[in-house]
Amino acid sequence: MNEASHTGFEREKAEAVNPDPVNPKIRTMEVIDTDFHFTPSWKTLRSYLKEPFQSLLFHYPVGSLEYNPEPANEKPGVGQDTHGVAATGADVLKIMEQFGTGIVILNPGYNRPQSIFNEPMIAAIAAAHNDYLINEVFPVSDRIKASLMICHRDPQMGADEIRRVGHHKQFVTVYTSFSSLYEPIGNAKYDPILDAMQEFDLTLTCHSEGFFPHFTPLWTGARTWIELFGNAPVGNCMAHLAAMIVQGMFDKYPKQKVIFQEGGYWWLPDFMLRMDDFYMGSGGDIALVERKLATGEKKLHKMPSEYVLENVRFSTQPITIPKNRQHFAWLLEMCHAKDLFCFSSDWPHQTLDPANWVVENTDCIDEDMQKAILSGNSRKLYNRL
Amino acid sequence: MAKEYLIGKIDDIPEGKGRAFKAGRLTVAVFRANGKVFAMNNRCVHKGASMCEGEISDGGKVVRCPWHNWAFDLATGEHCYDSNEKIRTYEIKMDGDQVILCT
Repeated sequence: MNEASHTGFEREKAEAVNPDPVNPKIRTMEVIDTDFHFTPSWKTLRSYLKEPFQSLLFHYPVGSLEYNPEPANEKPGVGQDTHGVAATGADVLKIMEQFGTGIVILNPGYNRPQSIFNEPMIAAIAAAHNDYLINEVFPVSDRIKASLMICHRDPQMGADEIRRVGHHKQFVTVYTSFSSLYEPIGNAKYDPILDAMQEFDLTLTCHSEGFFPHFTPLWTGARTWIELFGNAPVGNCMAHLAAMIVQGMFDKYPKQKVIFQEGGYWWLPDFMLRMDDFYMGSGGDIALVERKLATGEKKLHKMPSEYVLENVRFSTQPITIPKNRQHFAWLLEMCHAKDLFCFSSDWPHQTLDPANWVVENTDCIDEDMQKAILSGNSRKLYNRL
Repeated sequence: MAKEYLIGKIDDIPEGKGRAFKAGRLTVAVFRANGKVFAMNNRCVHKGASMCEGEISDGGKVVRCPWHNWAFDLATGEHCYDSNEKIRTYEIKMDGDQVILCT
């Protein structure tokens, strides 16, 4: 419609609109978000705590501190949760609707307990978190799935919790982290956890976490969020993946699937080449790792890179897209994105990735790859979906 | 061909906020900061966020992308750290209290 100005010149009227943040195509496709952070209030978690923890934990226990990224993000008062907090099933459904998500897998939010250096306390909080999910969140919608929280610092406590609640069908994975453990989850001391997981066919989630130097030497001397969160997790992720492979975790548990989250992946081509190369020339001490000592084997069952392709997947957030389109296409191919990438948003963190990029780079991501990344690879990864 | 679009009265744009408008084939974010009106493409050059949802900061000089906090100068559309990352801006004229978008 044209409007006449007071000078008599006609202009077209612009229309006020409320743009959908999500590309319309996303709303026509199945989207499984493999990393959505859920943060129950402390009051809620406390109501599920067993004694004596319920009586004595007045506030969320701070066994250790993480770097607060507010100076980096220049947003006061929100910590890492720059886009909000989801504390109930209804909250989750609202965000799912906003972003066109069909199925969501809840990971613990900022209140994740693994950063606490007190195993009974971690176990108690993990159990409370799981019980809250079972009693009040899962019943809200079958589209809400979750990671089963455990005390992963004490493998037997972790195994006990898996056996306690692992039968609940909306748990599809067990949550652990790379970095807030000193020793990688691939080390044989954590086999009780892996043993319990086999009984329930659960995927292992290995998520970036624990942003301060006392968790890992990679952060010693760091001063900025870019170092702590932008970069060091990548190194931790690689270390944890290497341990799983060469310490024989996949040989002992050949059906175990793992998803790494927020550790990046563009480093995969070098990782696979380097691991294979080193294995070929320097694999002798594999015979000395616990799992191989137990079996008497002296080598891996496969080349290291084969385990990556067969047992491991990677959440896509944060995707970093090169400006050079050929480079983007090459990276996707060299990282086997069509098979290995599982979409994730990381809501509500600063590096949130809605799914738009999956469908808006059609020169590099064809229709088949879009479907694989958005849901197909996740359906193959999580046996209990 | 350059065209002019009537956005509306300046009071239709809340101070310190942005709103999105469809102007022909364009979707444009219009902001009002310190009494001045600015306009840029609604789509962030980073990953496509809707800029009208962004937060105006730095004393009204900058709008931050609502998804990843990328900070763009309201007047030039340039990212505050890398001027090569730029959201296209559009001229705003005033006709009395009417805001006019020039594309």
